[in-house]
Amino acid sequence: MGIEVKNLIKSFDKKVILDNISFRVEDGKILSIIGFSGSGKSTVLKLISGLIEKDSGEINTSGGDIAMVFQYSALFDSLNVFDNISFALQERKDLRGKYTKKELEKIVAEKLELVGLSGIEDKFPSELSGGMQKRVSFARAIVTEPKIILYDEPTAGLDPISSTLIEDYIVRLKNETNAASIVVTHQMSTIKRTADSVLMLYNGHAVFEGSPQELMKEETPYTKQFVNASLNGPMKMNA
Amino acid sequence: MCGKILHKVKIYYKATFTYKILRMITAEIESFISTLGNIALLGLELLKGLKNFPTTFKAIMEQSSRFGISSLPITLSIVGMTSIIIAMQVAGEMVKQGAGNYVGMLVAILMVREEGVIMAGFAIISMIGSSIASEIATMKVTEQIDAIRVLKVNPVHYLFTPRIIAGTLMMPLVVIVASLFGIITGAVASNITSGLTYKAYFDSVWFGLSMKDLNVCLLKSLAFGFVITLISCSCGMEAKDGAKGVGLATTKAVVWSFVAIVILDFVFAAMFFY
Repeated sequence: MGIEVKNLIKSFDKKVILDNISFRVEDGKILSIIGFSGSGKSTVLKLISGLIEKDSGEINTSGGDIAMVFQYSALFDSLNVFDNISFALQERKDLRGKYTKKELEKIVAEKLELVGLSGIEDKFPSELSGGMQKRVSFARAIVTEPKIILYDEPTAGLDPISSTLIEDYIVRLKNETNAASIVVTHQMSTIKRTADSVLMLYNGHAVFEGSPQELMKEETPYTKQFVNASLNGPMKMNA
Repeated sequence: MCGKILHKVKIYYKATFTYKILRMITAEIESFISTLGNIALLGLELLKGLKNFPTTFKAIMEQSSRFGISSLPITLSIVGMTSIIIAMQVAGEMVKQGAGNYVGMLVAILMVREEGVIMAGFAIISMIGSSIASEIATMKVTEQIDAIRVLKVNPVHYLFTPRIIAGTLMMPLVVIVASLFGIITGAVASNITSGLTYKAYFDSVWFGLSMKDLNVCLLKSLAFGFVITLISCSCGMEAKDGAKGVGLATTKAVVWSFVAIVILDFVFAAMFFY
């Protein structure tokens, strides 16, 4: 089933951030959520991951772990790469003591290889570039073999080439894990390269839902404005 | 006509000003109650989780070394200097008045009942409490605590439990060493400034101190250690809005800790020495 969201409503201080949002993501598929800053994209991820509580609506998942890749990686800066990636395996109540040191080393090496960063276990986050930090956070996210992976603006702050690399890894992780993924992004390149479907949010409402190809057709005023990055259109920045 | 308009403007201005003042006061009260509530909730969650011992000895030892080793030099400096100042101020006068035999007792009681604990508390707040608050606050604003939650690890167990256990257990050790150091520096200062012999000083120390003083001192230091680390963790968790939020959370932790240990000190004094 992946992820199924029905009639989701969330408000902060009486301001409705998400108003009756519904969508579905199947296993092995990627949904891109796009929209202006403050349109509630990251709130959707926080609701699915359980970081915040919904006001009403339903969030159904296929079970298993939910992983999240944060906008600025959110690596634990006092821990090295090995401890960052193996954090859940070492500290989670149901997993603590389950793996020997050698097993942990093997798992971490495998995950690092998957994101193309073998041999950096002893480095600290401050010694890595933004793109490398992001890939380490990918490795940390998939260490428990999650069924759902949530990406919060994974290419934010990266140069175009690093962004392309990250986009390739998003697709690779989807293929490797068959997880249902949601990618919150502002970038058209990320949508084109990774998404199977797209949801556009504006002012708490879903104003477009379809494939990336349908988005590019610019058939609605919303998609036309977004694709052309135009100031003229139904979406206003201060809305 | 003009008078009527002026009157209305005055009423409007007064209403707005009053509203602003009231709103400010209400916001402060809300913030106070909310902070107090957060500290209490964190304390309860921590105590509730303790029965399963949700941390490791390694984590506690790491935090303990931070407490003991890092804070000791500054604590000893503060307590030592305070003791020297007390001895300098009173030893000469007391010797002149023929009360030299009570100098050791006075310094020891002051050190064990008050100065050792409260000065160690201030030093721990400045060095360790502020550091814990800013560390937790930075983790909060950089989403590291959210990452811990998403990885299904309880941040209260992983981050706070070892710090609070270490703080509670190490504080008495720091206080014992600091008080002993204070008594010894008092002896040296009394000897140098007023010629009081070490024998007379230490005889007076043994005469003046009781087991009750020592027990209350230990109990108080345990309570101080718990409260300082609890407040520091809780205020750190309240941080939001980037670097400014980290600064505000750290300041709040320091101020609340100072106020809390002074209130606790009063409660202990009223309970055991009144």
